Amino acid sequence: MTRIIIVGGGWAGCAAAITAKKAGADVVLIERTDMLLGLGNVGGIMRNNGRYTAAEEAILLGAGDLFNITDKASRHVNINFPGHSHASLYDVSKIEPMVRNYLKKMGINIMLQTRVTDIDVQDGIIKGVVLYNDSIVKGDVFIETTGSTGSMGNCLKYGNGCAMCILRCPTFGPRVSISMKAGVEDILGQRSDGSYGAFSGSCKLNKDSLSSEIVEVLNEKGVVVLPVPKDDINEDKLKMKVCQQYALKEYAENIVLLDTGHAKLMTPFYPLEKLRKIKGLENARFEDPYCGGIGNSIRYLSIAPRDNNMKVRDLKNLLCAGEKSGLFVGHTEAIVTGSLAGHNAVRLDKGMKLLQLPISLAIGDLIAYANEKIETKEGLKTRYTFAGASYFERMKKLNLYTTDEKVLRRKVERLNLTNIFEEKIV
Amino acid sequence: MIKKIMYECIDVGSEYCPCYLAETNDCITCSRLQGKSFCDCNWGGVCIYQRYFWNGEKVNPSRETYKAKILDKKMVGDNLIIFKISVMKTLARQLKQPGSYIFIRNINKPQFFDMPMSIMYSNEYNGEIHVAVQILGSKTKSLLSLNDEILVRGPYWNGLQGLKELKTLKASNALIVARGVALAPAVLVLKYLIKNNNKVSLIIDKGKIDEVFINEYISDLNLVTIESDITTEKGTLLIRELIKNNNYELCYSGGSDRQHCEVKKLLTELSPKTRFAISNNNEICCGEGICGACSIKIGKKVVKSCKTQIDTSYIVEKGEK
Repeated sequence: MTRIIIVGGGWAGCAAAITAKKAGADVVLIERTDMLLGLGNVGGIMRNNGRYTAAEEAILLGAGDLFNITDKASRHVNINFPGHSHASLYDVSKIEPMVRNYLKKMGINIMLQTRVTDIDVQDGIIKGVVLYNDSIVKGDVFIETTGSTGSMGNCLKYGNGCAMCILRCPTFGPRVSISMKAGVEDILGQRSDGSYGAFSGSCKLNKDSLSSEIVEVLNEKGVVVLPVPKDDINEDKLKMKVCQQYALKEYAENIVLLDTGHAKLMTPFYPLEKLRKIKGLENARFEDPYCGGIGNSIRYLSIAPRDNNMKVRDLKNLLCAGEKSGLFVGHTEAIVTGSLAGHNAVRLDKGMKLLQLPISLAIGDLIAYANEKIETKEGLKTRYTFAGASYFERMKKLNLYTTDEKVLRRKVERLNLTNIFEEKIV
Repeated sequence: MIKKIMYECIDVGSEYCPCYLAETNDCITCSRLQGKSFCDCNWGGVCIYQRYFWNGEKVNPSRETYKAKILDKKMVGDNLIIFKISVMKTLARQLKQPGSYIFIRNINKPQFFDMPMSIMYSNEYNGEIHVAVQILGSKTKSLLSLNDEILVRGPYWNGLQGLKELKTLKASNALIVARGVALAPAVLVLKYLIKNNNKVSLIIDKGKIDEVFINEYISDLNLVTIESDITTEKGTLLIRELIKNNNYELCYSGGSDRQHCEVKKLLTELSPKTRFAISNNNEICCGEGICGACSIKIGKKVVKSCKTQIDTSYIVEKGEK
């Protein structure tokens, strides 16, 4: 039986586990912390702008499992906030157990608190991953979804030090780049000034620490926009964040809060003293990262060179997805790339041709476009997301963006890809 | 699979970390403090780079030298002295784990008379430690005249290799082979093993010492003790028989490098899965990874064995000076 080992239990890893399982493989999902979803535990934003299209495409392709869960866990649907339309916000305090139970029911073997520290590679073929306790997990094909965030040394070198985010490196140990261990050098993303990495783009405030007026609006409408005092407006901060879709003037002049269970604050970090000057936030405190007044995690420091079918170049049996596979932002991007990697892992083991999604689909185009751009100097400074910035513009220009499910259904049918991820291969 | 050797710094995360090695980009653990531009450490539970940075890029203060009172000095035969020394309770507590050692020196001698000495006994409640010194050269001879005070620097911990193997062993069988003055550090080893509910067989070889000097330290411990000259054929046969019949999960060899090799050979032949820990016999001079006296070369890499935990098989089989 085909045995697929996935390293990294974030959204991408979970998605890969699901499609690999659907394709008939025996799937092991290894995660270093005690929770799945990684940064998804402090995320929440789905279906905004072009992500709506991508989510619907994924559902039609047969990889709708996780989108169905995030839809189900949504506190708010179809809300608008500056620069963004028809977003859904899932409840971060409910989502992880829902996903975990779903994967467990599918029969996916989840290994939590299990940190991979090294690999056993021979002639470009990975034989197994070495765990923290020196034991080895062997497999036929491996998928790396370790992301690109942290660890502490990187967050310090390129950021303001460990801000104690949900990844909890001090407790569980740092992420390890599997591809790098196998001798394939990582690609590093850059900021507009050429420095490496970028700050995670949002933090979370404890909702109970906000004024009752704000909480009421958040609960009802999902979004609150508060003006920043003139002296404290800092547009430079927009340059250092990853989420270029939120690097808009509105986000410098205003505090944008979204209700994801916590109050998601759409800025990498915000000095607590300044934050508390804003009406309604006088008693605010951070929920994630714990030191959101100081800094945030640093990402995009560890991207593997890959093909458009998600296989890592120069290695025979390693695929990648999520942030590991490109300068992507967001859960939707992680889920769609993960779904493709999981499916292709099984194809790879069977010696079949790997699936490459056509560029007439937003998902296929994003995967191909990001890969083309990462070869360029400018491309390393750009982020790719269905949700905004340059890629959403491209989606609109190429007529890939639609919220009409029927249009997408016809397209996927025409491409003969309906439910392809549901197909059992072995 | 070809196991990559990982080096673990014994001091990682302790109050002595980051040390001078961080300052010169020679940190044993942190890739950034080796001058590399990415994180790839052998994680020991803390980020040394973060500690170093928030420390204002300064190292933590290193161990100090204390003037300590000699409580008792006992000659064993012609060539061994046991010093009972009064130290701070904190230091005594820090010297409880197997492999602990200190530097001692005659109070009237310059710093290069510092010599590393394994801890044989440590009492954290009254702040008392015991060390056994074999009189060999000018440094050890300089201790003969001491009666009241002695200089002590510590704590140091890398007196044995294979600490992880030793500390993780629970409710299993273990064999300790110790000879000569190396009987002293074996006391902490066997106490640790017994505390973790292991059944310990101890082979005692007094070697070049006139009598077995650890009896009073082990008399109340539940273990099987056999006295034998392990350099004889009879001694080898004894070890063979024990290994064959006892299903040892761990073996600790305290003695010369040659002894380590001989014991390892027997293990490889009779019980290849038995974990192996050994006394660290490299010439330790500063204890801080700076002077280079303890360096061993593994492949192309020079490793400072005074601070580094190294897979024992590399020391026994592949390590070269």
